Amino acid sequence: MLSTHKLVNILQAYIIRRLFFLFFVIFGVSLLVFTIQYSYGPDRRAMLYVDSPQQAKDIPELKKKYGLNDPYPVQYVRYLKEIAMGNFGYSIVAARPVWDAFLHYLPITIELNLFVVPLFIIIGIWLGKQAGIKRNTTYDHVTRILAIIGWSLPTFLFALILLMIFYGKFGLFEPAMLSANIEAFILDNPDKYIKYTGMYTIDGILNGEFGITWDAIKHLFLPVLTQVIVIVAILMRVMRSSMVEEISKDYVITAQAKGVDSKTIFNKHVKRNALIPVITIAGQLAALSMEGSIAVEMIFNRHGIGNWLAHAALKLDTSVIMFMCLFMAVIFVVTNLIIDLLYAYIDPRIRLT
Amino acid sequence: MKKIIETENLRTNFYTYEGVVKALNDVCITVNHGETFGLVGESGCGKSVTVRSMMRIIQSPGKVESGKVLLFLDENGEQEAVDLLQQSESYMQSCCGDQISMIFQEPNAALNPIMSIGEQVAESFLFHRKKSLSEASLERLNAQDCKVPFKGIFKNLYKKYHEDENAFVFKLLSHIPLLNRWDFLIRQEAFKRAVEIISKLGIPHAEDIAVQFPHNLSGGMKQRIVIAIALACSPMLLIADEATSNLDVTIQAQILELLKDLKKKHISSILLITHDLGVVAETCDRVGVMYAGSLCEVAESRELFGNPSHPYTKALLESVPKFHQEGALKTIEGNVPNLVTPPAGCRFHPRCKHRMDICDKEVPNLLEIGKNHSVACHLFGDK
Repeated sequence: MLSTHKLVNILQAYIIRRLFFLFFVIFGVSLLVFTIQYSYGPDRRAMLYVDSPQQAKDIPELKKKYGLNDPYPVQYVRYLKEIAMGNFGYSIVAARPVWDAFLHYLPITIELNLFVVPLFIIIGIWLGKQAGIKRNTTYDHVTRILAIIGWSLPTFLFALILLMIFYGKFGLFEPAMLSANIEAFILDNPDKYIKYTGMYTIDGILNGEFGITWDAIKHLFLPVLTQVIVIVAILMRVMRSSMVEEISKDYVITAQAKGVDSKTIFNKHVKRNALIPVITIAGQLAALSMEGSIAVEMIFNRHGIGNWLAHAALKLDTSVIMFMCLFMAVIFVVTNLIIDLLYAYIDPRIRLT
Repeated sequence: MKKIIETENLRTNFYTYEGVVKALNDVCITVNHGETFGLVGESGCGKSVTVRSMMRIIQSPGKVESGKVLLFLDENGEQEAVDLLQQSESYMQSCCGDQISMIFQEPNAALNPIMSIGEQVAESFLFHRKKSLSEASLERLNAQDCKVPFKGIFKNLYKKYHEDENAFVFKLLSHIPLLNRWDFLIRQEAFKRAVEIISKLGIPHAEDIAVQFPHNLSGGMKQRIVIAIALACSPMLLIADEATSNLDVTIQAQILELLKDLKKKHISSILLITHDLGVVAETCDRVGVMYAGSLCEVAESRELFGNPSHPYTKALLESVPKFHQEGALKTIEGNVPNLVTPPAGCRFHPRCKHRMDICDKEVPNLLEIGKNHSVACHLFGDK
């Protein structure tokens, strides 16, 4: 048996090695993204700096100024150098540098995911477990139908339906991030409300203004519900099939012959085994959810990363798109690392080497 | 002879997409106190299904249709029969693992891959020895040098658990994270006993083995662990479902020795399932031969090997390779029937050399033809 001290050492070495790997991933992604946007040609890229037809005559000058006619490797190295220094370019949509805009939009998406990720993991695994145990009963059929509906309906349609029912019919849970009067209160009292994290729910608590937190939660309800239902639908089905597979394994019979009650069998023996494949899917879904579901953020008028990315894509805001690709690469590498650590925690057969 | 378990006309069906598989057809087996009963037959003839039906651990789509499984419990010197098929789920849970337990054929699959060996063995104690475990934990708490925080609270909890393990408090506690670990002393105690039983089975360094996981052990070791799980609570009846089939010959011999040894010390009877006639000859007192879901012949093992009476038993014994044999191996012609549509009458009649007119019409009953020797064949019918 490993001592705790040794285990910590192994973990540390493993994590450092994996994070080192992150640099290669970023290098690869940056190469790919840069190559794609390079295919536009110097003139097209110079156009991005031009706002009006009058400025069109400046294009040769711009090409020279930014070195757009330089050979490909020279331009790529220049790009890498700028990234390394933390300069990701200028976002036309946000009208400020990409990094500043990112720091502004990120908390809003994180706030959403702070609710979405734990909820979908808990609900998805619980529902899937029950459906697996009660296979081929009414419970299973009902959850299956709901899962198919939740999964196959497009997110935007789902968001619109929920908005129509709750806001349109009952006047509850309006879109946007805060009610107008609360927003005005924040603007009027910069000394009472200090922005710590950029997340209204947490900042509300930190400032002692629980009204703001409550209001923010009310506004989060519908977007969170939409996201959770869509993701739970997938996760639940994966968990269910994994449960069904594990229940038929021989160790379940051993446990039964031992006289273990069925609750313990399901919760202690089967569930843990069934979780192993589910962790991968849950991790990937959480990473995808970090990107900010574009439809949810657009419809509920939340100015997070998804919203920003959607606008940037429409306006061909290249630097934003290139930055987001790098950001998603980082997110996926980190999530995969967490998944692998969880794997090793749950399954003793997996070794971190 | 005192009986320990008896099945009466056990019928088990599997409801598959192809149709209803009639896996067991009126199986009657009796196991007596202090004997080793062997159940032989080719693969798919329903040996495992029989014992699993007895323990009620048939997995869906299987279902025990009818019959009785009588377990004879010693109550004040008098034998009392309990029909296990009529009992509640919770009765079965308290009975399985305590009075009857089972060794499985595939040690690789029979152990939970992500639970430590010690934990899996300890589970038997946790479910059947609650009283003595809480007593031991209380003793530990009462000892002078015991350093457990909140000693008083734990003492009260364990005392209460000792008196009534189904109290509401424990159900509540088991649902609250962190607080559901209140029984850590009981778990430690169970783990200690698990280590003891593992070392009793001749595994060296039992403490080190107990914290390892199934994938760290070899096949023979795993089989010993499976035996340890079954033996934990010293059952009256041990069912060994092809316990040695997947092991190589040396390990097989070791395990059989171990079983013989254990039978002398700890358990009263063994029901041994195998398709290896050599194993039967060596270890069993009485033998039952099964074919296609029904019992054909039951006899003492000397009698069975000396005087096989059922045509199937004869054919089976003839097809065992002999040392001085020359030429092709003798086999039984034909195939095992599809149990969705079993042959009418005697299920062996399509392959039988001594077939008569009656064979495909009537199911033969088990008839006693000698001392402790019964055969289900029309050849021995009323003539």
